[in-house]
Amino acid sequence: MADLTTRLSKAIKVRLDTVQSYFALAGRAIGFIFARPFYTQDWIQQMDEIGVKSLGIVLLTGFFTGMVLALQSSVSLQTFGATMYIGRLVSASMIRELGPVLAGLMVAGRVGSGIAAQLGSMRVTEQIDALNTLGTDPIKKLVTPRVLAALIMLPVLTVINDFVGILGGNLISTLMIGIPSGLYWRTVWEQIASDGFTLRFIPNDFVQGITKPFVFGGIISISACFFGLNTTGGTEGVGQATTRTVVFSSILILIVDYFLTQILLTLFAP
Amino acid sequence: MTGDERATPPGTPVAERDDERRREGRRVTERKSDNVRAAIRNEIGADDPNAGRPDGPPPEAEAVIELDHVYLAFENPILEDVSFVARKGETICVVGESGSGKSISLKLILRLLVPDKGKVMISGKDITGLTFKEALAVRQRMGMVFQGAALFDSMSVFENIAYPLREHTKLDENEIEQRVREKLQFVDLEPDRVMEQLPSELSGGMRKRVGIARGIADNPEIMLYDEPTSGLDPLTTGIITRLIMKLQRELHVTSVVVSHDIRSVFRMATRVAVLYNRKVVFFGTPEEMAASDDKYLRDFLGGF
Repeated sequence: MADLTTRLSKAIKVRLDTVQSYFALAGRAIGFIFARPFYTQDWIQQMDEIGVKSLGIVLLTGFFTGMVLALQSSVSLQTFGATMYIGRLVSASMIRELGPVLAGLMVAGRVGSGIAAQLGSMRVTEQIDALNTLGTDPIKKLVTPRVLAALIMLPVLTVINDFVGILGGNLISTLMIGIPSGLYWRTVWEQIASDGFTLRFIPNDFVQGITKPFVFGGIISISACFFGLNTTGGTEGVGQATTRTVVFSSILILIVDYFLTQILLTLFAP
Repeated sequence: MTGDERATPPGTPVAERDDERRREGRRVTERKSDNVRAAIRNEIGADDPNAGRPDGPPPEAEAVIELDHVYLAFENPILEDVSFVARKGETICVVGESGSGKSISLKLILRLLVPDKGKVMISGKDITGLTFKEALAVRQRMGMVFQGAALFDSMSVFENIAYPLREHTKLDENEIEQRVREKLQFVDLEPDRVMEQLPSELSGGMRKRVGIARGIADNPEIMLYDEPTSGLDPLTTGIITRLIMKLQRELHVTSVVVSHDIRSVFRMATRVAVLYNRKVVFFGTPEEMAASDDKYLRDFLGGF
């Protein structure tokens, strides 16, 4: 029994240590955003890596999600004779939920795994030690540019995702359900406006839609860097770090999404 | 302590004492089996008189690196009561079986790790209590050559060697290029041929040499090598060994070499520290090591 207690307390201690070092990494990475020297080149390169190169999958995801949303909702709405509200449904779902979450999950898979694998290999080939030896803080050089790039690029990707999603819905509702484009876009706007505005002109939907990917960007980049930098055990460890990053950040995105929605709905009630 | 002091003219008591110590070492060696004697003579620069094994520094030379009763444990104990000193201009080789904590001792010197107990001194200053930033400053005085060279694989050879210069010096682009060329020539690589190549395009020996060039780019006082000759063919091993000796001879850097390549250790070490069972079981000149009756040392030297 005593043995079990010690083992349990040891296990809890290890978990808590991990959580602590996760937040310590996050704190230092974000703190370094404002401290010299700025590794601007690395930052720009990561913006390209995380943002521009993820554009393809985000466009595809958004477009098909918008189309399937229109298709599915048309079936339900038809029973009430309310197919003209497809635009409202598509825009609300895309902007508030599916846009941020799907962009987050896609980027977690594409970018998170890439970062974890890269930093993990750098760890096992002693390149991280080499950076330290050459007098560079690896967190500043490697983590901060990635976190900063993700914080900026994920909201941008999400906005694009939202837009092509709504466009996909437009295509289906016009071609297959016969709703004129003008009506579709008017209902889209009605939906956005009906949720109220912050500071009179920023739609509450947009506040929700931008806050979420910002947080998700942080989750993905910090998790990937954390698992990558803490890789042990050679190439096998790199594989594990990659898997952990994708699983952990995907699950965290879904959990955080729920609580964030709760908070944002309370704060920005229409 | 400068290079001048090393060249103490013959006849002074220090040099005499030093010579006597070496003579004594050789006398002891000669009593040992002919095989060992011949092998050592062969290794100590018999092929090239200028590349002979360097003499140790006078015993009162400044202690540049000092591990003082160091203890370290992670899950299991790794080092217990480990002490050794590298004096100015000396090449200390740390040998021992795989997993005996050799590389860990380099990480302690670099302060990538902090001992649980004991002191690590660089030029007489304990570095265990330094902040992260202060430690970066101490590391700037050191050059490190990693086992797998640890070149940044996303950067060209030029960018790799220029990296410490860009980080720590105010040299302009021309000066950086000049320095990179100079260091590449020092390690016998043709600058124009390799500068733009990526590390993945180089052979193992070339990668090691680029690693050395990067290590010496910022003219460090201390060089640390982690298994510099492991995984290399005998010819390249010879080249790297001679390079380490050339650095010691021409730039008077203090070096710690972690290795289990006993042949090159005998060529370049002024003193050898043997790690066994987490402890330093021997610390002395290669001659003393070869002459030792200790069973473990004899086993370790094996066929040598």
